Amino acid sequence: MKTRSARLFPHILSYAALIFPVAMLIVVAAWRLGEGGLDPASTSMHLANADWQVTLQAGMQAPPSSVDSKTLPNTWKSTTLPRAFSPAVASGTGRQGATGRKQEVSTTWIRLSAERTSLPSGPLALYSPRIKTDGTIAIYVDGKLTHQEQQQGPLWNSLFTPLWMGLGEGANGTPPQEILICVQHPAASWVGMSSLWLGNAASLQRTYDMRLWLQRELPAMLSAAFLAVGVFALFVWFKRRHETSYLLFFNVAATSFVAHMHYYVGMPIANDWFAWLTINSLLWLVAALHFFLCHLHGRPLKWLTRALILALLVIGVVTLPLLPDTSSFAWAIYAIILLTAGSVVVVGAVNAWNRTSEGRVLVVGLGLCALVGVPDWFLHNNIMSTEGWFTGAYTNAITFGMFTLLMFHRYVNAIADVERTNASLARRLQEREAELARSHKLLLDAELRQTISDERQRLMLDMHDGLGSSLISAIRSVERGNIDDAKMSQILKDCLDDLKLTIDSMEPVEADLLLLLATLRFRLEPRLEGTGIVLLWNVRELPALAWLDPSNALHILRIVQESIANILRHAHASEIRVSTKLEEYGVQVVMEDNGRGFDVDKALDSSAGRGLHNQRRRALAVKGRVSWKSGPTGTCFSLWLPLDSDAAVN
Amino acid sequence: MQAQSPDSEPFPIHVAVVEDDRDTRDALCKIIQAAPDMRLAGTACTLAEGMAMLSGPPADVLLVDLGLPDGSGIDIIRATATQWPSCSVMVSTNFGDETHVMRSLEMGAAGYLLKDSSPAKIIDEIRILASGGSPISPIIARQVLMRFRQSGTEAASAPAQPADQSTLLSAREREVLDYITKGFTTNEIAKLMALSHFTVRSFVRRIYGKLKVTSKAEAIFEAKALGLSRD
Repeated sequence: MKTRSARLFPHILSYAALIFPVAMLIVVAAWRLGEGGLDPASTSMHLANADWQVTLQAGMQAPPSSVDSKTLPNTWKSTTLPRAFSPAVASGTGRQGATGRKQEVSTTWIRLSAERTSLPSGPLALYSPRIKTDGTIAIYVDGKLTHQEQQQGPLWNSLFTPLWMGLGEGANGTPPQEILICVQHPAASWVGMSSLWLGNAASLQRTYDMRLWLQRELPAMLSAAFLAVGVFALFVWFKRRHETSYLLFFNVAATSFVAHMHYYVGMPIANDWFAWLTINSLLWLVAALHFFLCHLHGRPLKWLTRALILALLVIGVVTLPLLPDTSSFAWAIYAIILLTAGSVVVVGAVNAWNRTSEGRVLVVGLGLCALVGVPDWFLHNNIMSTEGWFTGAYTNAITFGMFTLLMFHRYVNAIADVERTNASLARRLQEREAELARSHKLLLDAELRQTISDERQRLMLDMHDGLGSSLISAIRSVERGNIDDAKMSQILKDCLDDLKLTIDSMEPVEADLLLLLATLRFRLEPRLEGTGIVLLWNVRELPALAWLDPSNALHILRIVQESIANILRHAHASEIRVSTKLEEYGVQVVMEDNGRGFDVDKALDSSAGRGLHNQRRRALAVKGRVSWKSGPTGTCFSLWLPLDSDAAVN
Repeated sequence: MQAQSPDSEPFPIHVAVVEDDRDTRDALCKIIQAAPDMRLAGTACTLAEGMAMLSGPPADVLLVDLGLPDGSGIDIIRATATQWPSCSVMVSTNFGDETHVMRSLEMGAAGYLLKDSSPAKIIDEIRILASGGSPISPIIARQVLMRFRQSGTEAASAPAQPADQSTLLSAREREVLDYITKGFTTNEIAKLMALSHFTVRSFVRRIYGKLKVTSKAEAIFEAKALGLSRD
């Protein structure tokens, strides 16, 4: 139960971490949408029927502070808003001069009547989604100038900013009767006018806010976010120069931001370079997307690239502010841009569709971008209702969403890849470790086999010389029947002693020669019992002999054993003195007896000297040496052993 | 199985034998019965018989073979310590069997006997054992020294284990062991240390006693460390 709740707790936490922010966002959105609270339809009046006329004048004039519509020429025509007033229509009614047309300025007058009494009390406001014009806008309420827009000429963001005009407390209870809109503009340009709403300020505010937010602020946010992601990609590229896609992505984000900047910048369209940038960056964006697509599907598409660069250069040069004004065929330039975008999408789609899923996502996104760009073009060229939506602002949202999707996939895949790699690395490491352990075990086994084989060899050699031959001769003697029990017992006892020493040699003596000699004495002591021979133990402390392994220990035991056996057999001594001495390069074990001695040289030459030769051979095997000094008063046998097995025997 | 022996001594040494090999057992019995100061108190061939024997009157010396057909002589050594506390246990062993000898000493044996020893030597060893001495060899001495060096350091690192006299070797005891590893006989050591031959042998017995205590203390310490024992 406890563990279950402990397991559940992180789940609850993570759900809370998910639900809380989502709920927060929903609540904020609800506030935003729920503001106003009043239904605009019941609290405001939709003004869609208007009268209009166009007058001509010599140039731009400051709008007078009051205009009585009755003083204007009585050439009003009625129409339904929204509506685009074409220059042909506009100039059709006035005098059309063949010369100086560019200097001519038209004033388009739009009159709306609000003669109704159903307006609610409280602050009133006038709202219109859009007035599309290259000139100034002045609004007269009941003949009085109450609002002006674009006094310095058209603004970059005017198409995306709805009209909003507060009318105060309904003019002391008398609602406005007439609204006159006066638009001054070059005679050759279009004027687009959407319908108007007059009504309760609070409820209209909501409609206005929503329009402003969806049309300008949300795309601006998305555009900025896209740029931020682009900058992030740029920094990724700084670290990973070989991954060009990040740089290309930054390019797309940057050009996209620049291409859409005019949506949000409220400055007057006076700077020609900004206009140039606005038009051209759109084409650069198409080019950047093209390069990105090429990078994705990996095909150069030389002819399309060349055509794109050519179009880019031509339009770039033609639209230069230094050259004659091109605004009259701006529609054509935009059409070219739309066409190039379309062809980039189609060609990209053909090439990338079967290659990468990323390419497919990108192509779909770009197709959507081109599609949402088309209504923009229609709107710009007055083919579509002025009240419609500029969907082009959302190309950024689409590109942003699309690239975010790609990045999301890459990021998630990269994490999965890293995890997979780690898992496979761990597995390989484990395999390698197992392999190492296996080979190590094989090595150990081989070493063990070698050790066993060496040990067997050593014991075989030893037994062949000692125990084996003693037993064989004993067996032969028994078979021949020429051996008495006492002798037989003695031979077997000797064999047992041999065996004991063999076993003792395997005891770890830790390089202690004295312990080895002590063991030997302990084993041979019973042999001396009853012989009347006194053993004088005169040993001194000796340094450790690092080379004293079982094999060498057995050699030493056999050498000393042989010496004692010789004394017991031949010397007729009454005393054996065993002593040890430390010398510069070695240690010496000396055994002196007071027996009758023997001729060393003669013994070494005769067959009886086999034991002595064995001693010499064994001494050489441990890099030591043996020597005998014998006289009538006894024999002195000494065994010299090196302190260090590497030291030369001299 | 009671055996009669000439009752020449006022306080004969009662010797019991646990040995499964018939020849060895007969040889041992013969040697003991031949000794004027010894009396064969009983014989057993198996672990079960040996254990049954322990419920009878105690002997002074018990000769035990470790490799019994129905179990290890170690069990008899352990049981003797509680049932015949005054009895000295002597393990009869073959040469080169130092590991078992050490184990037996830790379990409370007071000495050990090589099976191929001469009858005189066997009688001698039994007498020394009965009088409170113990035999030793250089290799056993070496192993005892090493065991105390280990347990000395372990005792120092274990706070629950006070380093008291009953678990540490005295300087003289250590000296005796050092001499043994250098090849000196007990007689020579007695001379070198200006002690009696008997004192040196009794030193060895005391060392074996400490070996038993130490190994018990170690067992308890290990059991505590493993959480097997509460006290």
